[in-house]
Amino acid sequence: MKTPSSAPAVRSAPPFPRWAPWLFAAPWLLVFGTFVAWPLVRSLMLSFMQTFGPGTTTYVGWDNFRYLFHDPLFYRALWNTFLFTLGSVFIQLPIALALALLLNRPTLRGRSVYRLLFFLPSLVGLVFAGVLVAIMFEKRTGLVDAGLHAVFTRWDPDFPWLEQYVMPSLIIAGVWLYAGFNMVYFLAALQHVSSELLDAAAIDGAGPWQRFWHVTLPEIRPVAGLVVLLSVAGSFQLFELPYIMFNTTGNPAGPDNSALTVVMYLYQMGFMSGDLGYASAIGWVLAVLLMGLAALQRWLARREEY
Amino acid sequence: MNHPPGSSPASRRTGRLLAAGALVHGLLLACVAVTLVPFFWLVTSALKNKTDFFASVFLPRGPGLFGVAWDRLTLENFHRLFAELPMLRAIINSFFLSASLSLVATLFCAMGGYALAKYPFRGRRTLTACVLAAAIIPPSLLLAPGFELIWHLGLLDTYAGFLLPGLAPAFGVFLFRQAMLNSVPAELIESARLDGCGEVRIFFELVLPLVRPMVGAFIILSFLGTWNNFIGPQLILQSVDHHPLAVAINNLRGVYGTDYGLVLSGTLVSIAPIMALFLLLQREFITGLTAGAVKA
Amino acid sequence: MPPILRRVLAAFSPGVGIIALLAVAAAVALLLLPQAPRERVQFWIFAKQHQAVYQSLLERWNREHPGMRVEMSLVNGAVMDQRIMSGFLTGTPVADVLEVERSMAGKAFMGPIEDVGYVDLTARLKSEGLLAQINRPSLSPWTSRGHIFGIPHDVHPVMLMYRADLVEAAGIDVRQIETWDDFIRVMRPLQQDLDGDGRIDRQLLSYSPIDPNGTEVLMLQAGGRIFDDQEQPCFDRPGNAAILARLASWSVGPHQICRYADYNLASGQQLLVDGLVVAVMAPDWLCGTFKQQIPGLGGKVKLMPLPAWERGGRRTSVFGGTMLALTKASLTPEEDWEFAKAIYLSREMATALFRSTCIISPFKANWTDAAYDEPDPYFRGQPVGRLYVRLAPDVPRRTSSPYNPTALLRLSNCMTSLVAYAEERRLSDPAALEAEAQRLLVATQRDFAALVHRNAFLRAPAR
Repeated sequence: MKTPSSAPAVRSAPPFPRWAPWLFAAPWLLVFGTFVAWPLVRSLMLSFMQTFGPGTTTYVGWDNFRYLFHDPLFYRALWNTFLFTLGSVFIQLPIALALALLLNRPTLRGRSVYRLLFFLPSLVGLVFAGVLVAIMFEKRTGLVDAGLHAVFTRWDPDFPWLEQYVMPSLIIAGVWLYAGFNMVYFLAALQHVSSELLDAAAIDGAGPWQRFWHVTLPEIRPVAGLVVLLSVAGSFQLFELPYIMFNTTGNPAGPDNSALTVVMYLYQMGFMSGDLGYASAIGWVLAVLLMGLAALQRWLARREEY
Repeated sequence: MNHPPGSSPASRRTGRLLAAGALVHGLLLACVAVTLVPFFWLVTSALKNKTDFFASVFLPRGPGLFGVAWDRLTLENFHRLFAELPMLRAIINSFFLSASLSLVATLFCAMGGYALAKYPFRGRRTLTACVLAAAIIPPSLLLAPGFELIWHLGLLDTYAGFLLPGLAPAFGVFLFRQAMLNSVPAELIESARLDGCGEVRIFFELVLPLVRPMVGAFIILSFLGTWNNFIGPQLILQSVDHHPLAVAINNLRGVYGTDYGLVLSGTLVSIAPIMALFLLLQREFITGLTAGAVKA
Repeated sequence: MPPILRRVLAAFSPGVGIIALLAVAAAVALLLLPQAPRERVQFWIFAKQHQAVYQSLLERWNREHPGMRVEMSLVNGAVMDQRIMSGFLTGTPVADVLEVERSMAGKAFMGPIEDVGYVDLTARLKSEGLLAQINRPSLSPWTSRGHIFGIPHDVHPVMLMYRADLVEAAGIDVRQIETWDDFIRVMRPLQQDLDGDGRIDRQLLSYSPIDPNGTEVLMLQAGGRIFDDQEQPCFDRPGNAAILARLASWSVGPHQICRYADYNLASGQQLLVDGLVVAVMAPDWLCGTFKQQIPGLGGKVKLMPLPAWERGGRRTSVFGGTMLALTKASLTPEEDWEFAKAIYLSREMATALFRSTCIISPFKANWTDAAYDEPDPYFRGQPVGRLYVRLAPDVPRRTSSPYNPTALLRLSNCMTSLVAYAEERRLSDPAALEAEAQRLLVATQRDFAALVHRNAFLRAPAR
């Protein structure tokens, strides 16, 4: 390998051939053009069509969107997705942060082992997790009810998670899967919190809670904002977990549609009913919502800088 | 708050510190237990026969060591998994799809990132904007038109139909662009050019080794993503011969219903390779998975 | 090693090396794996229980018909559902002969009749004189706009399976039961708080408002309809509200008699074994499933006709169902038809099917089979087949509308809303719930009709 010192810095470098960047960008450009840009345009077109599979299409104008905005199932899906998102942000992320705070001591023994173990569940794909969670949350025979009943004898071993508490069970599964994952982000951020600042606060008589609230939290706020945004975006894509959990019952949307998510509804309309047009319309509404949220987050982050 | 005031020499503080340390470890161990219990349950369930599955939560009780009936544990579920079902084929499919896709995607993303980071050419701004835009499109938006396109191309139910769209994900290009901006000095490339090095050779011999951590991290990230991908193969790869584990496990559950030992042993077989890979390459995994942070 | 290679390898972290190795190994393995030779006729089934039944016949058929060998594949129902649709809509490979479950069959009837992906069997069934031999109501789910697209596999009458051991121990005489009211009155002593925690643990019937199938079974029995004869939705038909109100009063409050034992899950099966639910609505196939999956109930259960909604009313209902269909994509229609008749019409197959799954044949000629009269020790020696055959002609007709699964879910939503309303207002009298039930049904009818009429392909020819 050539080392930089072998080249005199004064000589001006020869220009690169004009084709070079295009050669390197070509594979990505091809894939982008074919499988992203064109489908994006096509999805806009499709959202004004009704289809019966890709072979049969007919133009229906604003029909899809008009129906969508009055579709109680779509609102139900949106509501469920929103609930799961709330659970991710207000239950899972605080747990992740708490774990990170516990781990964030340079003197702690076995720190990397803990980190490794907490990280483990996030490797389990949502499909596989779906199978596992479905069997775990069954009443009477499942691990959750059996375990809770063994620890707290007053716990009803027939607690109907999968019948009446679908969203809580999804959120709990989400905590198990991703709290350790988000912990890694927080841990990285915490390592940049200056210990001088913390020490200074301690000398000024600030208790641990005050130090957390007034020193640590402001310092990790940029990363926290990012983690929240990523969690929200991820939660909005929720599909496999509830789909796998309930699809053997013949109704993946779960009892009383309590597990129906936006992406699941898109999937069912597009690929089980063959209406790619309606699926595209759902996709666009979802995309607009997500971009709105991202813009909101940026605006909030910017406002905070002042 | 969590920095122990170690600079303070007061000896009575040591006692308090020890107590605090024990408390922290206690809390952490409780969390570890909750995290690992499902895995332990998965393993024991896969090793039990049907009666024992319902009779005991973890290991079957019996006269053996620790009050466990070790001799009732069985590999029967695994045996049936491979004898009655096309599980081997699914495992090979999963390895093939994940490994080949992640290799090629890493190369293509590194190339794209290099072009955007290190060549000041006309159109660079536009391309970078495209990469950013493509990286924030929710993937579900492209499901319907993507499926239609694969159908028009005649690629439904082929490996290519699944692999091609994933060969150069935009956020990979972006990750590599950032990595190259940070860790590949322009002078290095210029001096290589002065020495008469070709552009392609510069990329492979000079640039790629400099972003080695990102290469390792990204390849793992795409491997994991492909392994765990369900909706893509479910839509595109229709015949049983083409199914990866993610699709096969759903079939298994649909057909074998309440035969939980069998279903869970299938689940165990599906996640075990990823776990093994993780234990081998932890550092790359954690860097790779958290690299998403740079994305936004 | 050439220096260039070494430098390229320098870019490889161990991860890259391992993954490259995996890619090569997997690709080689894929190339080496023997491709099973494709037989001429592809036959898909979704029920594992059917596999063993067909296996022997299939082997003989393949020996006797080397020119039209058949290959059977077991495919998960949800996956088959998607593959059938994908096959019809996009031309991906689909089987020549398939067993299709009722909940997925309807989707193919969504478009114009000539676009249905299944072969129209009406003419063949008529000309070969098969139509008259089939139990009439069992054809209805496979008939769209007067065209028959499948041979029925079953009748699936519903009976009441109850814990005979508990009933006898309590000194109850089930012969007093003719209606649901009788059932509740006579069985009442079995409703108990077994562990003394103040909650009733043992309930009389397994049913839940969240279970669309249970609601459909009871509604069909009572003569309720969701689709009229023109396959148009009719949630708001008079009579439906009264049924829903009754079911709601069973589900909550002082008149509650139901607890849900979802026997598709191990937990539900455990509730039955533990005797926490006295009775289950049981189609014939469920008897087979239970015999296989819950040996613990053997000798503890018996069957009786479903209690009627009023004196002299219908003593059965219908639940589930499968057809054998041929696809238009097939290149071997004649072979397919011969094979279809071979596995569905023969007395031998009917006997084998009954012996392993308790499912009775829809072909009336098979009903004389002696196997149906064999006493079954699982059911304390009752002649299970005969009991179901007696009810077969009475099973209600069903819709084939592609929208039926969705309609059932909507109906189930009505039920849960109604139960929530009853709980909130502490209403337990069915009469007091009927007005709310009617309001919910009318609202559902409005939403649902909007969904059905949105279909531009079905709407167009109607204009």
